[in-house]
Amino acid sequence: MSIRAIGRSASGGLEVFAAWCASWWRVLHFGATALVMAASPQAYDRATSNLMARQIYFTAWQILPGFVLVCALLSYMVIRIVVAAAGTYGLAEYALSFAVRVQVLELVPTFVALFVALRSGAAINTEVALMHIRGDLDALQRAGADPMRHQLVPRVIGSAVSVVSLTVIGGAIALMLAYVAMYGFSPGGIDEYTEVIGSIFDLPVALGLGLKAPFFGLAVAIIPISASLEVPREARFAAIAVRSGMVRLFLALALIEGASLAIKYI
Amino acid sequence: MDQTPTPTSPPATSAETTTTLPVRHLEFKVALLLALTLVLSVSFVAYVLYARGVFESTQKVVLVTDSSDGVSVGMQVTFRGFSIGRVRSIALGGDATVRIEVAVPKKDARWLRVANVFIIERALVGGVGIRAAAVQLDNPLLPDGAECIPQGGLSGAICTVLRGDGSEDIPRLVTNLKDLLNNLQGLTAADSSLGASLANVRVATDRIAGQGGLLAGALGSEENAKKVVAALDRSNKLLDSLTAASARLDQVFAKADQALVKADQRVFGREGVMDETQRAVAQLNAVLGDARESLKRADAVLADAQKISANAKGATDDLAGLRAEVDASLRKVGALIDEINRKWPFKRETEMRLP
Repeated sequence: MSIRAIGRSASGGLEVFAAWCASWWRVLHFGATALVMAASPQAYDRATSNLMARQIYFTAWQILPGFVLVCALLSYMVIRIVVAAAGTYGLAEYALSFAVRVQVLELVPTFVALFVALRSGAAINTEVALMHIRGDLDALQRAGADPMRHQLVPRVIGSAVSVVSLTVIGGAIALMLAYVAMYGFSPGGIDEYTEVIGSIFDLPVALGLGLKAPFFGLAVAIIPISASLEVPREARFAAIAVRSGMVRLFLALALIEGASLAIKYI
Repeated sequence: MDQTPTPTSPPATSAETTTTLPVRHLEFKVALLLALTLVLSVSFVAYVLYARGVFESTQKVVLVTDSSDGVSVGMQVTFRGFSIGRVRSIALGGDATVRIEVAVPKKDARWLRVANVFIIERALVGGVGIRAAAVQLDNPLLPDGAECIPQGGLSGAICTVLRGDGSEDIPRLVTNLKDLLNNLQGLTAADSSLGASLANVRVATDRIAGQGGLLAGALGSEENAKKVVAALDRSNKLLDSLTAASARLDQVFAKADQALVKADQRVFGREGVMDETQRAVAQLNAVLGDARESLKRADAVLADAQKISANAKGATDDLAGLRAEVDASLRKVGALIDEINRKWPFKRETEMRLP
């Protein structure tokens, strides 16, 4: 390989890296703008509220029965496995603590984020990519309506609220099933259960859980929308927008989960 | 894009079909979901605060110990398996001791009594646990902020702290195990005495399997085994000649036996020497028996005389003395007869065999 070729490939690598950095910068910029806009009360009018409500309806309410069922089954299975494994190793007294930590703190939020990302994140990604390619957003802009305010921010807020809502419901189901798995339906274990819950949820853990779910929710909408707005306005780029959006979203979810674990346990 | 969009109603495009589908009671459903989320969140926060004892008043117990190893903030303090409090803080005191501050809810403070013992123990598997052991439930309650010190500390302590570590024995155990393994290694090494012994056993078994058999194995070589076999043959011959000699001896003994029978008949047979002697002794016995009878009669006469002279009892002392003497003589004679009988055992055993 000649020196020129090495130089060409090095400069090519640098370009790719710079593009990657710029792309993530646009994600962050879009996220920050969306958050600032969401925080200002004048951003909400009837149309945006309606769109937000629809986003919440399609992301959370529509799937609620199936979600509750799947979450209950999955939670009960995981809790039983953890309790049985703890009992096998003679750690039965820590079984409840293990089960709640694994299920409520880690699995349920991640499961909800992935579920919403696959179902609604992909849909938002495609929808916004098509709107961008067809020039709907520019049309709105020309008409004097801020597409960010009327089309994008409601989706971001709706997704974030949906993820938080589903995480809360899933967590509540997991907590109840953990009690049932440990003590059955008798109220005899309430004191011990309360003790264990009290010992698990200290301030850092509660804060970590309280921050992780909204972060997951924001990522699920912000990253696909940002990826959709980046592509050139050609129909064939719609698929590329969805692909890069979903890959980045998955990476971001993994990063958030990893950071949350690192903060809690390292 | 020929529609005239307004700021409040964005253009209805085909991409918005998902979000423009008619939904019945949209507002109500979303409000319900948000309300459910809010209620669950608030209840959970309240429950966690309650579980962490935010709403109940506590009293403080300070455990002073020499190490905070394994103790963490939030750790439970148990009494007979039930949690009665939590570690609120751990601090290093000015005198380099560790001060573990435990918060015990007022309702559980009744289990904490003066002279209480707190045990910080590390199990072999699992973490460290702090256990309260009430010595006497009749003792007065432990005051708020009581300081418990390690056993053997200042006298007059209100309560004491003990440390127990199940894993303390592990290093010693490992050292012993290492020694054991070294010994085992020494035993099983190629140049060990066990190895040498096994090699010898193998040599021996090879010899046993050889022509000389077990004897060659025991004696070291086949030549020695042959010598032993030859010695055995000679012994057999010797035994044969000894058998013949003993047969001849038997004949000699038979003859001696006959001679002895004859001698026996002469001494102990009918009209033999012993027969005569026995007869003489029997006669002597009869004579002595007669004398005893006579003396018995004299004794009876004397007894009668004693009865007759009942009035003159005082004067018959001599007679009583006489009687005593006669009695004594009689006993002596009886003893003499018994002695003779003992010394002449022919009366009981009339026949005697010589060996």
